[in-house]
Amino acid sequence: MRKYLLRRAVFGVSTLVGVSLIIFVVLRILPGDPLVAMFGLEGFAKLAPGDRARIMEDLGLSDPLPVQYARWMRDIASGSLGRSFFRGDKVSELILHRGPLSAEIALVSMLISWLVGLPVGIVSAFRPNSLPDNVARSASILFLAIPGFWLGMLIVLATLFWFNYKAPLVVVHLWQDPWANLQLVVGPAVVLGLGQGAYIARMSRSCLLEVILEDYVRTARAKGLKEAFVVLRHALPNALLPVVTLSGILMGFVLGGSVAVEQAFGVPGLGRALVVAVIERDTIVVQNLVLLYAVIFVVINVAVDLSYAWLDPRIRYR
Amino acid sequence: MSDHVDRRTFLKRAGAAGAGAVIASRLPKPGSASAQDATVKPDAAAKRGGTLRYGVHTAPAHFDVHQSGTVANIGAQSPMYDYLIRRDPRDGQTIIPDLAQRWEISPDGKKYTFHLRHGVKFHDGADFTAEDVKATYDRIVSPPTGVVIPRTPLFSAVSDIVVLDPHRIEFRLKEARPRAFMLGSFASGWNIIVRKKTLEENGGNLRQVMAYPGTGPFRHVSRRDKEVWIMERNPSYWNKGLPYVDKLEVYHMPPFSPELGSAILTGKLDYARLIDPVTWRKAKETPGMTAAEFNQSVIQAVFMNNKKPPLNDPRVRRAMHLALDRHALVDVVKDVAPMSVGGFVYPFHELSTPASELVSKRLGYQKDTRPAVQEAKKLMAEAGHAGGLKNLTFLVRDVATFKLWAVAIQAMLKETLNIEMNLKTVQISQWFEDAAAGNFDLGISAIVSALMDPSDYFTAWYGKDGPQNYSNWTNPAFHDLARQIEREVDDGRRKTLVRQAEEILEKDPPLLPVSYEKIYDAWHNRVRGQNPSTFFGIYDVVRWDNVWLAST
Repeated sequence: MRKYLLRRAVFGVSTLVGVSLIIFVVLRILPGDPLVAMFGLEGFAKLAPGDRARIMEDLGLSDPLPVQYARWMRDIASGSLGRSFFRGDKVSELILHRGPLSAEIALVSMLISWLVGLPVGIVSAFRPNSLPDNVARSASILFLAIPGFWLGMLIVLATLFWFNYKAPLVVVHLWQDPWANLQLVVGPAVVLGLGQGAYIARMSRSCLLEVILEDYVRTARAKGLKEAFVVLRHALPNALLPVVTLSGILMGFVLGGSVAVEQAFGVPGLGRALVVAVIERDTIVVQNLVLLYAVIFVVINVAVDLSYAWLDPRIRYR
Repeated sequence: MSDHVDRRTFLKRAGAAGAGAVIASRLPKPGSASAQDATVKPDAAAKRGGTLRYGVHTAPAHFDVHQSGTVANIGAQSPMYDYLIRRDPRDGQTIIPDLAQRWEISPDGKKYTFHLRHGVKFHDGADFTAEDVKATYDRIVSPPTGVVIPRTPLFSAVSDIVVLDPHRIEFRLKEARPRAFMLGSFASGWNIIVRKKTLEENGGNLRQVMAYPGTGPFRHVSRRDKEVWIMERNPSYWNKGLPYVDKLEVYHMPPFSPELGSAILTGKLDYARLIDPVTWRKAKETPGMTAAEFNQSVIQAVFMNNKKPPLNDPRVRRAMHLALDRHALVDVVKDVAPMSVGGFVYPFHELSTPASELVSKRLGYQKDTRPAVQEAKKLMAEAGHAGGLKNLTFLVRDVATFKLWAVAIQAMLKETLNIEMNLKTVQISQWFEDAAAGNFDLGISAIVSALMDPSDYFTAWYGKDGPQNYSNWTNPAFHDLARQIEREVDDGRRKTLVRQAEEILEKDPPLLPVSYEKIYDAWHNRVRGQNPSTFFGIYDVVRWDNVWLAST
């Protein structure tokens, strides 16, 4: 187990180093100039070449790339993650302020995806080709097909025009005002959760359809066990492994999807901060947020791997 | 009533008449653009207290208002600062006293002397003096190394700034400039007065200094990046009785966004600026809300790379200019951004040809485009391009309005002159890189000016090597005329010269004017004291000192 964990840790760290290098290089070779955002149209147009060079130097963007990369790694090691080179705000403070909101959205959406996806998958699997199965499959395809940001826009417009409602404009943490916090989280979480729930429903249905044909399920039924007990105790745990794996992958989609969905709902989470940073070409903020997403993705995948042993005792790590 | 006038009464009346004559000589003539006796006074009927929630633009990219060119700074930071003189918040036009309670202009127009208020304090408790004004304007006129201030060219005629005493300062000019131009430059909302000590302590660069002290009606309380900037009433404000509201919350929201629109419609904001047309129309028909539109200091235009033949041929450029159906172009974006038809000079400025005359008489602006298109075809034939042009690169900024226009203009030029273009849509920063490098044939973007006065943008937009002359256009006759306009102090002669300049621009277009931007504001009727309908732009009247809330 320890060996396995070490191996996974080394693999995870090397993945993150690779990701950091890719982000770093891509952000610096992409065309575009952060000074446009900094000075506006009129100001940028009036910058002399010498001024541009001097300001880029002040921002640290004229240093050789290895020096800039080393500086970034040093900032990560110190925990500050550097500062936005526009306003000088600390990136670590941005993450601490907005991160909890995005984390809540991700966790609640994951919860919703399981609460919706699993029962739908179970009903579909145990009543294949019935009306509930057909309805569930159609609904899941619908939610797979609808882009989250579009559904988000519809919800925002519907609540605005029918109920004259708008969620709070600024970050409100759960511990500050739970009701206001719920208003910020619920919309994006439902949209993301329904999208993932569709995947979970389809995966759990197909896995359960395989498992319920196994001998041990037939035996359980032959013993006269109640159907619910057969499903929950015997079939489901064995069908869950692929669903758990899928959830780990879907968490990555949640992180990616939250960028667009937070934007659609106007929720001031990390996803929205990333969008603004990309528009402004605030390199320091973009590279740290993308790396943070990569760290979360790697950690979730390791956690998913470890959960296999708990779900299936036959699995041992070497 | 007695007819008898004794000696005392005579002296009193004579004195009063003399004082009246002196004051009258300082007062503006009717219709003049400045009023020295019109400092904003508190209104006894105004209600005090409450929090004003204002939504405008995304967060500033830095904190140095002087170095900025976007409303992201002005919108959030202006309430904390004052100017030397200002535009009257009641009409957005008249120039009235601010930190300078009065001013004098020498008869030759080469000296501007400002008399500063006594007892004004910065938010950190320091006294405001002429040294602060000098430090502020020294920086604007001659920015230190690494500092770029877009308004520097407005003060190119200033040779010396002299502190006469702690409350008197004199600006000496190398040569006279039109008074309206100079006063307009001093009253520009960008030219906030900052403390000399602040500039010294930060090496003259305030880009990363968040809350440097001002003398304005509101003081900094807190800021959440990209969310909200919170300010409180300055209890020591020099204009006693102002501001009315206790707290100001400036929310950063993308312009024209559904987020901003929904925030104002649901009452999460009291006042919103730069809202989209759909929200604006909804607000207009919503009971308890008011919506207003006003002109913005921005032209939307297509630039033509004059370094690439045949776009260096004025006939080809004029042909393209005539082939555009500008009314259709305004209509194309009507649900995205409000626009109006205009030519090369702000169509609402007193020196330009009025918009009504443009639309009714001038080719290229009429609703019936047939005569203009006929003339355009003739010009293309004369230039040897009767068969049209192929493979032109049209550089388009990745913005909804520009993308809609690009497709429409592509179709118009193809249909009328058989000009075929390939669209290249890029992000804003890439657009500027390509434009500067000349990697385009045509390019569409927006350019802004600080003032409505042509002497500001005739240099920046159309001047040889002007910073926003992306077409690389030159016309010696125009440049000579622009220099004359810059120096001409007589309004009548200046108007004649501007009209002559317009004629040159029509015949030899440096760009294709697409439209002039308008601004849509909306507010709940509990907000009183603000109506921007006559404002020009969103940069001058943004302080909220005279705004109050009827219900808090």
